[in-house]
Parts: sequence; structure tokens; C-alpha cells
Amino acid sequence: MADSLPTEFDVIIIGTGLPESILAAACSRSGQRVLHVDSRSYYGGNWASFTFSGLLSWLKECEQDSEAGDKSTVAWQNLIQDTEEAIALRRKDDSIQHVEVFCYASKDTGDSAEEIDVLQKNPSLVASSTLTKPLDSACLSEETHSDSTSPEMPAKDTPQHDGEILPEVTDREETQVKETDCGEKTCIHTVSDGAKDENKPVVEDNSGQPKRNRITYSQIVKEGRRFNIDLVSKLLYSQGSLIDLLIKSNVSRYAEFKNVTRILAFREGKVEQVPCSRADVFNSKELTMVEKRMLMKFLTFCLDYEQHPGEYQDFTQRPFSEYLKTQKLTPNLQHFILHSIAMTEPSCLTVDGLKATKHFLQCLGRYGNTPFLFPLYGQGEIPQCFCRMCAVFGGIYCLRHRVQCLVVDKESGRCEAVIDHFGQRISAKFFIVEDSYLSEDTCAGVQYGQISRAVLITDQSVLKADSDQQISMLTVPPAEPGARAVRVAELCSSTMTCMKDTYLVHLTCSSASTAREDLEPVVQKLFTPYAETEIDEGDPPKPRLLWALYFNMRDSSGVSRSSYHGLPSNVYVCSGPDCGLGNEHAVKLAETLFQQIFPGEDFCPPPPNPEDIIFDGDDKQPEAPGTNTLIVAKLEASEGSQNLDSPGQHLQ
Amino acid sequence: MSMEDYDFLFKIVLIGNAGVGKTCLVRRFTQGLFPPGQGATIGVDFMIKTVEINGEKVKLQIWDTAGQERFRSITQSYYRSANALILTYDITCEESFRCLPEWLREIEQYASNKVITVLVGNKIDLAERREVSQQRAEEFSEAQDMYYLETSAKESDNVEKLFLDLACRLIREARQNTLVNSVSSPLPGEGKSINYLTCCNFN
Repeated sequence: MADSLPTEFDVIIIGTGLPESILAAACSRSGQRVLHVDSRSYYGGNWASFTFSGLLSWLKECEQDSEAGDKSTVAWQNLIQDTEEAIALRRKDDSIQHVEVFCYASKDTGDSAEEIDVLQKNPSLVASSTLTKPLDSACLSEETHSDSTSPEMPAKDTPQHDGEILPEVTDREETQVKETDCGEKTCIHTVSDGAKDENKPVVEDNSGQPKRNRITYSQIVKEGRRFNIDLVSKLLYSQGSLIDLLIKSNVSRYAEFKNVTRILAFREGKVEQVPCSRADVFNSKELTMVEKRMLMKFLTFCLDYEQHPGEYQDFTQRPFSEYLKTQKLTPNLQHFILHSIAMTEPSCLTVDGLKATKHFLQCLGRYGNTPFLFPLYGQGEIPQCFCRMCAVFGGIYCLRHRVQCLVVDKESGRCEAVIDHFGQRISAKFFIVEDSYLSEDTCAGVQYGQISRAVLITDQSVLKADSDQQISMLTVPPAEPGARAVRVAELCSSTMTCMKDTYLVHLTCSSASTAREDLEPVVQKLFTPYAETEIDEGDPPKPRLLWALYFNMRDSSGVSRSSYHGLPSNVYVCSGPDCGLGNEHAVKLAETLFQQIFPGEDFCPPPPNPEDIIFDGDDKQPEAPGTNTLIVAKLEASEGSQNLDSPGQHLQ
Repeated sequence: MSMEDYDFLFKIVLIGNAGVGKTCLVRRFTQGLFPPGQGATIGVDFMIKTVEINGEKVKLQIWDTAGQERFRSITQSYYRSANALILTYDITCEESFRCLPEWLREIEQYASNKVITVLVGNKIDLAERREVSQQRAEEFSEAQDMYYLETSAKESDNVEKLFLDLACRLIREARQNTLVNSVSSPLPGEGKSINYLTCCNFN
């Protein structure tokens, strides 16, 4: 695609995570000429979602030597003039650490021998070959390691991301299998690439296992396209700033959502459903009549606790948990409120606990029985939706486009331009950079937090219900005082994030140690490793782990702008994902930066409804793509007040 | 949103290299215009045209790439929930034809299994500069199991036919109940999908 990039913009945004993408949409919407780039081949940075094979490629990239394999860039040093200085950007993101992968599902081949990589192989090669020929060359390169004790994943293979960034692709067939027994099960570290999912449905292989479907690793690989695995696990509060922004800006039309169907609690070794709406409370079979009354009374109070300060004023400086003890609530109700409704740490003060409880209750019922929404196809869709809005208003998008340095004018101290990997200078007035692109020099004084993450593929839900299509949010309280609560989101296949008959489970907590050390105890409480022979683990049997991934992600959300060293004032920094459940941090960050850059401008106002647009007969050219003028002119009266339907929704 | 306005609503998505005439096809069809040398389309997300086929009103929502194809940066979410894809190349531009496998790869990755894909060779008004023969394109589309058509947005050749044929096929598929709106969705989606635009309590 030898299209040349303009060299002058108003705003250059580096990184396509959620805050950057919201900013891109906001800037573009307010008439700025926006260039939005990402050095990666995918949208979202650490906010991305991946198919299964995409995730495996991502894992490889994480393991790759930081400075290696990037020689195609043009040196920028001699492009800097005497009156300028350069601030180099980081060549490779190192915000992901302690990656560990375990495969429990059976690796027996059978049907897995040919993972045919049709078009994923190498687009340029494919494109230049005769097109009518069936493209059937297989590219399978699998490296299998087994070592349950090794903390690091082996990183030997060169990445083969999606073929687009690499000039050549070697066809390899190498398989190393070293399996060690660890207790009764075999843990296998697996790195597999060239894995291409096929379109055809899984051949169901559940003969002799009427109770549980047998899912093999090769099925996961084959159906890999069905997975959309989020790097960050978040939900949208029904009354939250992201929902409000999506609706206000009309970006919501690019995505679809499902309501989280249930809130779960983990108490005394068991998973239980938390009744949260009024109907839930009254229908609950677990609660006694007295408990129902107590709970309703307390929740009703929480909805307008500010009106009754006398009720809690003695506890304002004391923990919420202590306050709950005085509220005539049975221990299980206290547990529900503290961990699953307020979702606070045990040290949380009473007022904050009441506030969190109130927020939870306010979010109920807007879209369903729980306060949360989950985007179909994963959280990674959301940044992309904002990017589309930016593009619709003229923003220019370049993935796989690396910015080497920022160019600063010595005299004014302002950043004037960037130099990209082609050695091209692109100038702008404002620069927005995601934290992970900043160099070690710039970040020398920065203190980062860490997020511990686990991603599991399992064969059953943690709590069986009439329907197997549940989206569940579970909080596992810390096992000992001072430890962190672990947030668990379990997604079913109708969220479009995992294949049929599996569940995708995300665990998140702020890190005390490596992700595996932080989260494995919880994983062991909830799940059991997959084993070929069904072991009777009592009642009810735990869901089985088919595959597990642990990693730590850097949390830059608490970093203040002033701790970055030597950045010009017109360079703004966006943080990576924070550890919180909602997206409030990202939205607030984007809005705050937008107001700093363009004080008084409207933040993501609604665009005109496409159905209300008709083009002027003269069909004038749009003015420069920076102006706020639309090519459109008048409203079509007949459809003026209409809303859109979701496509095809009346078809069933 | 009044349901009585139409019997069917389909989302059609255009893809293909920059400059092959995607926007012109849409504009020609929806507005009957051919905008010469038009720049990027600012502020227009998709266009709507309601057509009547055998007495049934079919509303076509036609989405354009918003220029994100220029540097191969189309968002995956663009493909989601499309009922049909129009994969366009320029018959006078070999390169735009050579890139088709890359586009097919994206479709394979992100679009629904049940999506209908149509291959369109545009700009047949420039036949004297043709670089891609009809035969090659036919062979390619057959190998990939795609419906194939050559058009001229400028002369309005085959543009109506393209969209109307597509609408007919979409109706047929919908009737056979094989048309699935989102990727695979083999399950009878428990819990309703929340779509803001269908809800009234947003504003």
C-alpha cells in the first residue's frame, strides 16, 4: 500500500488503547486533523482482544528480545537539526512480564495433524502467486515444552506474527515434546504458531462422556477464531462514564453488549449466587424470610444513605466491614454486601462502602438484573469503535507504524514533530503518547503498579444453572488479611469470546507477586486440571481447566504527569489499563486531557444521524478535512426523527 | 424506530483497496450521484437506501471503510455483524486485484461464517486501461465461492443490479433462516443483546 502519509496534522496520537482512542475520536470530532498510529499490527495495545492463535503470537512477541528483529528502520539521528533535540521513544513495549502458559487439554492429535494455514501464511507471497491456484500450503510449527516449575516461558522461536510485519516466512515443522509429570497431571507449556482455525464446525467428540464434553487442544486451536481473549478484564457499569460516553457520542452503534447475568460470591469454599435486585432477593431460595427482609432494608437504606447520616456517623472513619456487623445482617449477607456488591477491599471505610453499594444499586435494572454490561467480542472492540468514529471524521489510521522519536524545538521547548520508522518527519501541534511508548530515560523516575492476570479456558461454569449461557462476575475475597481480592469474570460462548462448550475465565487483581503466585491459589479453589479419566471430586464437580495463561501487566494509571522526565508541555501521556473493574479511569483521563488541549470544546458530541443526512445536489467538496463542516446539508424530513435498528434484528 | 417501515434490514459492508471506487458505488446507488474526484467522506458513517423487492421493503445499511483501508488498518469491529460484504477491486489496477487474498484473510478472521461476499470489479468504463481480465476474476471468484460482477459507478453500469441482487440473496438466506447476524452464533443467545439504538430510554 504505497499511499503516502500527509506530513502535517493538528494532533498525533501514538497508541490505540482506550484513552488514546477516545481522545482520537474527540479530537477528530471537534475538527482536528488527527493521525493515530500504533507500532503493533492490531488495535488496542494492552486493551486488545485476541483470537486464540492471535494470543499465541502475542505471547511470542512478549517473550522476544526487546531490541531484536527490527532493522528495517531508517536512522533518525541525522534528521534532527541543530536547533532541535530528539526524545527517543521505546522500541519495544515491555509492560508484560512473567508470562506462563499451561495446557491441560488433551493434545492427542487425531484430527489436529493438519492445521491448515490458508491465507494467514504470508499475504505478500500469497498475493503474488497465481490466484486461481488453491492456497493450500500448510505451515505448522509447533514448539511444546512441559515444565510446570519454570517461571518463564521459553522464547526460542522467532515470532511469526501475522506475516505482515515479517519479510519472510519459513515453513517449518518442528515439534519438541518434553513432558514431565507433576503429580497426577501433566502440565504443558505450549507455544504454538501457524495455528489456523478452520471454518467448519467442531467434530463433536464426546463419545463415552455423556456428562462432559471432551475438548481437546486441537479443537481449541481449530476453533481459535471463536475466541476473543481480552488482555484486560473489565465490565461496563450500566450507569458509568463509558456507557454515557458511548451513547452520547453514538459510538455505541458500532458495538453490541450483553448484560452480565449474575453476581456470584465465594464463601466457605462454595460459589453462590448473590441476589441483588429486589426480585432476586425475593426469589432467592438460599435466604430465609428474615434475611430477605434484613437485606432489603439495608439496600433500601444504601440508596439514599446520604439522607441518614445519623445511621453511620460513628463509623465514618472505621471500616465498612465493621459497620456491616452492626447492621443486623447475617454473616452471609455481610459477605455478599462487602465483597460482591460493594466489591471493596476489607480496609475500605464505611462511607466509601456505602457509596460503592449505592452505585451498584443504581446501575441495576437499567439493562438487566446486574449492574454490568460486557461488549460482544470482548473489551478490545471498544477502543476500535472510538477509532472508527475518529476515522469517520477524517482521522488517519496507521497500524504497524512506529514512531522513533519526538522532535523538540530547543528555543520554544515545544514538540514540533515526530520521525517515523521510514525516517519521515510528521509535524503537529499536540502529541498524545501512551505510556508504554516512552523510553526508560523518560520514565526513570516513574513508579509503576502491576496487575496480575490469568486467562483460563474451562469446560463448565463455576456455578451450574438452568442455562449454560451465563455471564458471571465473582469476587473471591482475600484468603488472609492484607492480601488482595481476586475478581473473576466468567464468559460463556454467546459473548463471542470463546468456542462452544467452553468458558473463558478472566482473573484479575493488583499484584503482590507474579501473576501465577497471586492467582493460582484461587484457580485451584475454583477449578481442577483437566484429566482424561474423570476423577470423582465430589459434589458438585469443579469445572476443569483446559488451558491457562498467567501474566503481569504494568499499571501506569497512577503515574502523575510530572514524574515523566523531560517531556515538552504539548506532549500528553495516556496511561495503560488500570486494575479497576470499570472503565471510569480511561474515560476520565481522556476527557481531562481533551479539556487541557482544547479548553471549552465539546467532548465527543453526537454526530448527525446518517439517516438524517442527504447530500447536497451540487455535491460540494468537503472543505479541508480539518473543518467541522459536514458535506451534508439538510435533514430529510420524512426520516428526521427516526432511530436505527440493529441490522437484521427482525430476521429471526 | 418503527418496524412497519421495512420488512428487512441488512448491513452491507464495503472493503477493498483505497481508490477502487467503494464510496462511488455507494453514492451512485444511494443518491444516484457520481462525485468526480471526491476526497474522503467526512462525517458519514453509513448510508441508507430502502428498496422494494417483490412488494417487500428492504432497508440496506451500507457501510464504508472511513479511509481506514488506506494503511491497512481496518478495525475488526467493522466486519462484525455484517450480513454481506462487497469486496471491490479496480479492473484497471492489478495491485488492487492482487490484494484480494489479504482481504479474504480479514473476512475469514473477523466476519461471520454466514456472510455473503460479492466480488466486484469496478471502473469498467475505463475498459481500455483494463489490467485484470474478466476470466481471471471469474476463476478467482469461483475458487473462493463468491458471486462476481463488474460495475461502473461512473456510468451506473450494474450498480443497481449489484445491490438489488444482493438484497434478493439476503432475503432468500434470511428466509431459509440460515442467516446469522453475528459470527456463528450457534447458540440461541440467552439474555438479550443490548443494542442502544433500539432502546428508547437513552436520550
